[in-house]
Amino acid sequence: MADRPTVYKHSLVTRITHWLGSLAMLVLFMSGLQIFNAAPYLDASDKSDPGKRILAIGSDSQSAMSPGRGVTQVFGHAFTTTHVLGYADDGQGGESPRAFPGWLTLPAYQDLAAGRTWHLFFAWILVACGVAYMVGGAFRRDLRLVVLRPSDIPKLVPMQLYYMRLRKTPPEYGKYNPLQKLAYTVILFVFSPLIVISGLALAPGVDSIAPFLTPVLGGRQFARVWHFLITFAFLGFFLTHMVLVLTTGLGNNLRSMITGRYTLRKGEEGLGT
Amino acid sequence: MKRTLFLATSLSSLGLGLAGCSTIDGAKNALSHGPLFNGLKGAEGLTHAVLGSHGLAKEYPDSAVDHEFRQNGNNTPGDSRYQGLVQTQFRDFKLVVDGLVERPQRFSLAELRAIGNVTQTTRHDCVEGWSAIGKWRGTTLGSVLAMVKPKAEARYCVFHCFDQDDSGTAFYGSIDLAAASHPQTLLALDLNDKPLDADHGAPVRLRIPIQLGYKSTKWIERVELVASYAAIAGGHGGYWEDVGYDWYAGA
Repeated sequence: MADRPTVYKHSLVTRITHWLGSLAMLVLFMSGLQIFNAAPYLDASDKSDPGKRILAIGSDSQSAMSPGRGVTQVFGHAFTTTHVLGYADDGQGGESPRAFPGWLTLPAYQDLAAGRTWHLFFAWILVACGVAYMVGGAFRRDLRLVVLRPSDIPKLVPMQLYYMRLRKTPPEYGKYNPLQKLAYTVILFVFSPLIVISGLALAPGVDSIAPFLTPVLGGRQFARVWHFLITFAFLGFFLTHMVLVLTTGLGNNLRSMITGRYTLRKGEEGLGT
Repeated sequence: MKRTLFLATSLSSLGLGLAGCSTIDGAKNALSHGPLFNGLKGAEGLTHAVLGSHGLAKEYPDSAVDHEFRQNGNNTPGDSRYQGLVQTQFRDFKLVVDGLVERPQRFSLAELRAIGNVTQTTRHDCVEGWSAIGKWRGTTLGSVLAMVKPKAEARYCVFHCFDQDDSGTAFYGSIDLAAASHPQTLLALDLNDKPLDADHGAPVRLRIPIQLGYKSTKWIERVELVASYAAIAGGHGGYWEDVGYDWYAGA
């Protein structure tokens, strides 16, 4: 490792927006689940409609004090999810009827107003990070290194085989490998706009000045469905990202996102500067 | 022996894990109030500045109406004065409009209806996340304000209500004059072609479809025009705002 060349991989803007954006996503995820808990169901409709309910997380507890069973219904199929969903950790050392448990929400106890304050502040932070990253990357012209190109497509399968150790060497690539480009392209240009648009569509003030948004998403309640689903797409991206950061040289990866300096690994000689 | 040790270690690390969890929960809860947290509420002003009060909420056909319109928030006001008005179907009720106005006035329900009968079928989006569609009829708040003539220093309409919560805290709300003069901001008297019932805010409630439902204050008995709401109750411009909800509820 020591005799391998070290390059400047991540710009200051990339590093700042990466860490600030990560914090914002963590806050948005947990406060979002807090907000969901106030109406713990999703309807594929405009106004609320139990007939079009695709997810409901509830409890059969008779009161906040009596212990109950947590029940999660997906497309009408009921699953017992006591202690995890529906009847779970109340964030204050006990259990109570609530959809997502306290250890997953912000704040841990049930407080819609506080959850909204966190969510609506960090939504602005994340949008600012996204804009700074895109503008910074476009200005330096290195955003193009992240975007998947037609020439990358034939390399996707060989790269996957390399990850699965079915191939000794990765296909030739530049700063990012073809699978990374695919993931980043989908996250940056599909999921990020969608989560912003589906969030905006929930705001009556946005609905009044951009009335086309909500119908495009299938209605106001349907926008909640999209916002929820894309959240879990982001969670999937995050978990994959964690596996790769941990398995491809944790120290080197972390240093590159803190100081910008990255030591090239075998097969990455073509990365250059 | 080894197994016992392993079990003990596992259990104690599980215990540490759970303790860690409650420490994190404690931190999350502690960070969710206080001056630093209140600073986060500054984002509300930015959102308000971007969204403004000029857009129009979507109007629906009558067929979209929810006939069993969901009742939420506090229950019917229980005080005897209100109950007395309910029993006489608000015959002697007069809505007071005063404060920073040239011509303070009192309006009976018949007088309010005579000012201008406006119907609106719009979606009510609750802060909790659910939505329902109602057909509302009443008079625009703007036309009432035109009759009382707000003074130049008036900036907000404060809605004083009949209702109190269990601890005796009075219910109230407020909006600014830009939102008050919006063409869809109504002093609503009817819901789904019937006079408002007590659960839905009789005799007069606000209807402001470009903001979340908690701004549509129920059981209004007095509209006061003020330059600032800082001196009223908790000082945040409304019962729900004093609890911690945003004053601007367009998002």
